[in-house]
Amino acid sequence: MKSYNDKNRRNINIFLSIFAFLWILPFLYVVINSVKTRKEYNMGEFWDLPKGFSILENFEYINDRIDFMMGFLNSLLYGVIATTLAILFASLAAYAISTLKIKGKMFWFMLIYSGTIFPFQMYIIPIFRMYSNVDLYDTKIGLLAVYTALCIPFCLFVLRNYFYSIPKELVESAKIDGASDFKIYLSIFMRMAKAPIAACFLFQFTWVWNDLLFGLTLSKSAEARPIMSSLSLLNGAAGTNDVPSALLAAIIASIPTFFIFLILNKSFNYGFPTTSK
Amino acid sequence: MEIVKSKLSMKSKIGKIIPYLYLAPSVILVVIFCIYSDFFSLIVSFAEWDGLNEMNFVGFQNYIKMFQDPNFLLSSLNTLIWVIGTLLIPVSIALIFAIAITHVKTQSFFKTVFYLPNALSQTIAGIILTTILSTYGLPHLLGVLGFESLAKDWLTVPYLNTVIMVVSSGWQGIGMNLILFIVGLNQIPKEPIEAARIEGAKGIRLYTMVILPLLKPIMLIVLLMSLVNSFKSFDTIWVMTNGGPFRTSETLAVTMYKEAFVHNQLGYGSAIAMFLSVTVLIISWFLLRDTFKGEE
Repeated sequence: MKSYNDKNRRNINIFLSIFAFLWILPFLYVVINSVKTRKEYNMGEFWDLPKGFSILENFEYINDRIDFMMGFLNSLLYGVIATTLAILFASLAAYAISTLKIKGKMFWFMLIYSGTIFPFQMYIIPIFRMYSNVDLYDTKIGLLAVYTALCIPFCLFVLRNYFYSIPKELVESAKIDGASDFKIYLSIFMRMAKAPIAACFLFQFTWVWNDLLFGLTLSKSAEARPIMSSLSLLNGAAGTNDVPSALLAAIIASIPTFFIFLILNKSFNYGFPTTSK
Repeated sequence: MEIVKSKLSMKSKIGKIIPYLYLAPSVILVVIFCIYSDFFSLIVSFAEWDGLNEMNFVGFQNYIKMFQDPNFLLSSLNTLIWVIGTLLIPVSIALIFAIAITHVKTQSFFKTVFYLPNALSQTIAGIILTTILSTYGLPHLLGVLGFESLAKDWLTVPYLNTVIMVVSSGWQGIGMNLILFIVGLNQIPKEPIEAARIEGAKGIRLYTMVILPLLKPIMLIVLLMSLVNSFKSFDTIWVMTNGGPFRTSETLAVTMYKEAFVHNQLGYGSAIAMFLSVTVLIISWFLLRDTFKGEE
């Protein structure tokens, strides 16, 4: 019986290893070819090992071609600011819904949470029109506002659930000590909610960073364009046949989400269950 | 005395309003960007509108046009292929991998490997796989190995490219489902499995009879997320084929975008967006209805 199990386990290991190898292959391709020169890639075979290390030239090329660095910084700005604002606004709303004296708590919750019901395809035409009318099309503020608004419902959902789990006694005793509502929000709720806030930040930052749809729709100049829209220019009319540079850009553009991957991967191994947007 | 009283009541009135101020930023932003947009899309979907001239209301014309438009019908078919392909790869294969992974000792290694492409965005995964599948990449290797007939640009072959893109997005997107399945499998209580083993169930039977039914709640979540996302597939197609050649690989999300922003048919684009939304809502409702029934 035991040898049967061992044999089984070995077969499963072989099965998984073959697929793991397949899963890794594209990464090997990217790493090997991103440091080649364009000529080296076009003349040689993609499985040849690189002769040199032309990262700087490739980076310069891609930066000229699609304003790569500007897209990177724009997305960093959108990711950090929009996510932070969304968490701030959502936590205030979650606090009001879970703790303060307001009427129609369920109504307010559903009103805000309804933002997650429809696919984003429903939003792009109206927001595009609205932005054209108020001169927010192709501006940083415009994209920041959209990203902030669309991050709020998910954050509200997570934070409301967490705020309900905070014991009411804590609030009561703080009130007896004379703390104002806002002070309770800051010193009890926000202080205790570090973990869910971190989770919201990681997920929503990733979403903003990876977004292509709103970047394509609401920006056209490099000044406002987020990174994924910049990268999407590589394939298409203004595309490039400089594959190594494109691959290098892909690597650099993945650095922030790769760090988030490392953080999440660590918590996954502790059995942290989660869902994404 | 009267003045003091009215001042007091003023104060308490303000006190009652203040809690609503905590809600204000969220509510205002969501109403402006989401709820206003939902209604606006609904209204525009009944109009003919290029975005420059006056809106011209045409009743159900856009919806009727949809079902006579070969591009829309092909795009619906492609979307269906995406949905079925998603059930096969990111859901079924993720489940098989998850079951296999729970049987080996190097769980975290395999988890990390299969989750790794998730650290890339769909756009980036699309760019990487496009270059791998270009004539300098994998097809070239197959040509060198003697399969000359395979040495061409697969992404320009209609219909085949949709299948390739589904597989590509499976490579990128399997990780989240896999993690959820593994969490679910590890959470299943040991007793019913032991009991079934004693009864003589093993191998595939043990899974179909005992373990998979216990995994149903997680499976529903994964199914819902994957189905909804596959209906909205956009990024991968946008970068890998841009819907081409000759609009043969478009999905509904791509068709909607192109009609609205390339062909300036905002009304028709909105109608497609409405169709997409209603389809997604119906699927969500069916799946969630079962979940709630399970809880009752």
